[in-house]
Amino acid sequence: MLRPIVTIALREWRSMFLSPLAWTLIGVLFAIVSYMFVGAISRYHEQQFAYGSFGGGASQLPLTDMVVAPMFGNVAVLLLLVLPLITMRLLADEKRHGSWPALASSPITAGQIVLGKYGGLLLFLMMSVGLLSLPAWLLFGFGHPDGGQILSGLIGLLLVSATFGAIGLAASSATDNPMVAAITTFGMLLLLWIASWTGEAAGDRIEKILSYLSLINHYENFLKGVISSADLSYFLLCSAAGLLYARQRLVTERISA
Amino acid sequence: MSDLMIEITQLSRFYDRKKVLDQINLEVKRGEVMGFLGPNGAGKTTTLRILAGLLAPNEGSVRIAGIDIMEQPVAARTKIGFLPESPPLYDEMTVREYLVYLAQLRQVPSQQVNQAVDRAMDRCGLTAVANRLLRNLSKGYRQRCGIAQAIVHSPEVVILDEPTVGLDPIQIREIRGLIRELGGDHSVILSTHILPEVQMTCNRVALIHNGRIVLQDSLEGLERHARRERGYRICWEHPPDEALLRGIAGIAEVSGDGTVWSVIPLASADPIPELVRQSVAHGWGLRELTPVTQSLEEIFVRLATQEN
Repeated sequence: MLRPIVTIALREWRSMFLSPLAWTLIGVLFAIVSYMFVGAISRYHEQQFAYGSFGGGASQLPLTDMVVAPMFGNVAVLLLLVLPLITMRLLADEKRHGSWPALASSPITAGQIVLGKYGGLLLFLMMSVGLLSLPAWLLFGFGHPDGGQILSGLIGLLLVSATFGAIGLAASSATDNPMVAAITTFGMLLLLWIASWTGEAAGDRIEKILSYLSLINHYENFLKGVISSADLSYFLLCSAAGLLYARQRLVTERISA
Repeated sequence: MSDLMIEITQLSRFYDRKKVLDQINLEVKRGEVMGFLGPNGAGKTTTLRILAGLLAPNEGSVRIAGIDIMEQPVAARTKIGFLPESPPLYDEMTVREYLVYLAQLRQVPSQQVNQAVDRAMDRCGLTAVANRLLRNLSKGYRQRCGIAQAIVHSPEVVILDEPTVGLDPIQIREIRGLIRELGGDHSVILSTHILPEVQMTCNRVALIHNGRIVLQDSLEGLERHARRERGYRICWEHPPDEALLRGIAGIAEVSGDGTVWSVIPLASADPIPELVRQSVAHGWGLRELTPVTQSLEEIFVRLATQEN
């Protein structure tokens, strides 16, 4: 039951690193994040200086809130922009390049294929998110950041990227054209991100729904250091919905293709 | 256990209400190599994709080694190996990595994976390129990899969709040899529109046209059928009078344009020795006497056009 999932996941993960795409994305993101980090640090430094000279005395401004939280927020936006380029290949590429029959004629279920692909993607995401969060840990070298809050933000970031990945996988299952999958994913992620924007104009009840749907509302709690089951279940539900859709897509494809 | 490895019953398949397969029945026994012939668009690929579990049938049933592919799809798929029209390769992997990956997915026990992969590579002549990237292989080698993945888990049924398309004559010969070899331990069904391929590799033939099976027979049965209609192509230096030829016992039909003649014998007679004797006796100068081997093809063309 588990063996084919692990087999597919490991192959997927390896193949991501055999293509220059993953390396380039990680490299470019890391450069951007480091640059933002330096910017946030120097801003913090200025504000701390101003705070001190206006009578703040020796007390410190909250380092994690002012440097780490915005940085993790930015990483999520960057992932929203580039993850569609990673997830687009997951299933669409198999169909486009004709390797799909090798999988589809093997004694494995659609669910195992989807979970295997997702597992490989999660391995990749954990590596990249881990790498991108490295600057935050550097703060321990010259200040007193809140380790718990950083960890909570990191968990939030992992959940956000896992949700992005599941939605990307769903889009990739619906087409044999990776570009179409990428654009669809990008559109859905952006909509999810800004879902609450029209809330106020739409009336009370709809506003509530939209603000629940809005991904950023749930992510912000993690960045503040709050891990609640409501936010956790939001991300898990979104991911599960994506995976279930992808599985259903593969099942019905045998019938309707 | 029954000896029927593939059992297709009343199978139909639609694409957007268009009936692509119309209640076809087909059987392949253990160890048989079945040639699945038909013009392009007749429904060959659709049938094979259903067999391989890539498409679901709309009506009818398919059993692989006695297992219904709709009721127990995963169990049925352990019994098959499938080569689609273009080999299903991952370009970024090496030949060995690729075969190991698929052997694992196809439930080859962990300790036996390497052995199974070595065996498949050996059979398909891939040992020399084991560590090369699939992306860098020539078309012939890619096709062999496609066949290797179809047999790496020693399935009981091997399904090959046009296995020799686009290969050069030497490669075609090698692949045909390999297919012949596969029959025996595996049951093979292969689609093609090349007749000689069937004659060289298969022991049974099915012909599909417009989504219907119009013929299903052993190769010997077909050749017997063909021989009855087989004629001879003859050239003479000094051609005799047509009436004289008709006079020879056992000749059913004579036609010719003065240089090339076609002679069709009666079903029960062999007029050739007498024809040659008279040629020599009258000094007609016999230059060429060839049995016409096109007739198998003609049978297929006739069957295919009759259905229209």
